Amino acid sequence: GRSEPQMSSQKPAATRMALGIVRQRLKGATKGHSLLKKKSDALTMRLRAILGKIIEQKEFMGTKFRESSFSLAEVYWAAGEDIKYTVLETASSAQVKVGMNVDNVAGVQLPVFEVKKQHQSTTSELTGLGKGGQQIANCRESFAKVLDTLIALASLQTSFVTLDAAIKVTNRRVNALEYVVKPNLESTVQYILNELDELEREEFFRL
Amino acid sequence: MAGDMMTFNIKDGFMEAVCRGFRSGLLNTTDYSNICQCDCLDDVKQQLACTDYGDFLSNEHPPIATTTIAEKSTDKLVQEFNWVRSQSTAPLTKFLDYIRYSYMIDNVILVITGTMHDRDPHELLEKCHPLGLFDSLASLCAATKTSELFQLVLVDTPLAPYFSEAVTDADLDELNIEIIRNTLYKAYLEDFYKFCTAMGGATAEVMGDILKFEADRRAINITINSFGTDLTKDDRAKLLPSFGFLYPEGLTRLEQAEDFQGVRDACECYGPYRNIFADVGYSSEKSLEDAFFEFEVAQNRLAFEQQFHYGVFYAFVKLKEQEIRNIVWIAECIQQDQKSRINQYIPIF
Repeated sequence: GRSEPQMSSQKPAATRMALGIVRQRLKGATKGHSLLKKKSDALTMRLRAILGKIIEQKEFMGTKFRESSFSLAEVYWAAGEDIKYTVLETASSAQVKVGMNVDNVAGVQLPVFEVKKQHQSTTSELTGLGKGGQQIANCRESFAKVLDTLIALASLQTSFVTLDAAIKVTNRRVNALEYVVKPNLESTVQYILNELDELEREEFFRL
Repeated sequence: MAGDMMTFNIKDGFMEAVCRGFRSGLLNTTDYSNICQCDCLDDVKQQLACTDYGDFLSNEHPPIATTTIAEKSTDKLVQEFNWVRSQSTAPLTKFLDYIRYSYMIDNVILVITGTMHDRDPHELLEKCHPLGLFDSLASLCAATKTSELFQLVLVDTPLAPYFSEAVTDADLDELNIEIIRNTLYKAYLEDFYKFCTAMGGATAEVMGDILKFEADRRAINITINSFGTDLTKDDRAKLLPSFGFLYPEGLTRLEQAEDFQGVRDACECYGPYRNIFADVGYSSEKSLEDAFFEFEVAQNRLAFEQQFHYGVFYAFVKLKEQEIRNIVWIAECIQQDQKSRINQYIPIF
């Protein structure tokens, strides 16, 4: 939970009971701090891994796209430029759909996109039956791979953004605990101890 | 009758001469090597300006796209073809119309598919191949149901006989559009072949060989491309033209073929095809389609070696198309920086 705002100007009652309570709070803050630190570390590690994968996928996509564009040129060579009109006109429903799942990393929900291939219609199967069918099949495969890469890249990038935001929030909390809450609690404990000591000395003095 | 050395020139001599003039304007090896050395499409445009193409791209704003080059060069071919056709007399006109029928089939199929999917008619007509345009094409877009479509097609178009032979009203709905296209094309090829054979003389000889190869090529392609699809052997057999060098023995074996090796075996009986398949290894750079293109170019080149026949007109159209394919290929290679594959075009002379 959020750490209670500790205003150092407010002086709590200097009793043993108050000391106990503050000490409990300090223990909670310390435990919370170490847990949050672990979470932040886990998220950061995951972020680095994703970053590496993103770079890899982007390079891969660049190469694949180049190959696919060229395979399209081969289709035009074999089947004529007009094949694109045939393909466009016979397109009906999508042959590739994207489904979304949720992955959980140290409590953070990350979206993961998966490729769902639909059944290929017979019309598109038979395009280029009399001429250029093989080039069309190659081209189709090539672009399908590019699409897979694009979808994987989309997953990675969304995860990256979500993780980044989560890490920022977590780090803010970690820092708040480390530099504000704990020192405040510690200084309160110190203050109470000092007061108790003084009270004891006063007692002795009276006695 | 065409093919008769003494009478051909009376009606068709001028047209043949014009055709040969166009033929000499085709790009040669020097032109191709100049274009291959270009670094960008603007250089290609300048190189083409030195050839018969002239300044056909002069009105285009840079940067020029490969699709523009393809479009403009096709326009030039269409212009030359239409000029020849408008000056021709029967039976040359009929022969030239036969050349147009294959483009008409593609256009009709495109319009039918588009209309069934409720596309805008104007857009559809713009996408049609210019050589295959005819008056009643636009009226096809007006149909709202497939039965209407069939009535319109049957009545108004020059392709009517091909439709009635093969495709019925019910078929238009259920049958796959690609199957319809190939059924029409088979009927067209067989009809063209009959026409040329009836003309006799050199036309029958030259066109006979060319059309037989075209029939075999389609048969082989359809067979190979149907492997791994839902097309049954029976349906496939109905699409194979019933003439050609492979007919009837090789064709029967093609109908039974189940894989690439089966196709190769079916073609063993005819020498030139055996050579083609020998060239095409299982994983070589040269594809079967490339080998077919080469063979076609060689045949079309041969057509010009004889005089007094109509084959030169057909050969010119096909060679010009190949040239356009070559130019577009080279342009794509330059644009996509894939110079290693740039020499895969097919030189004509």
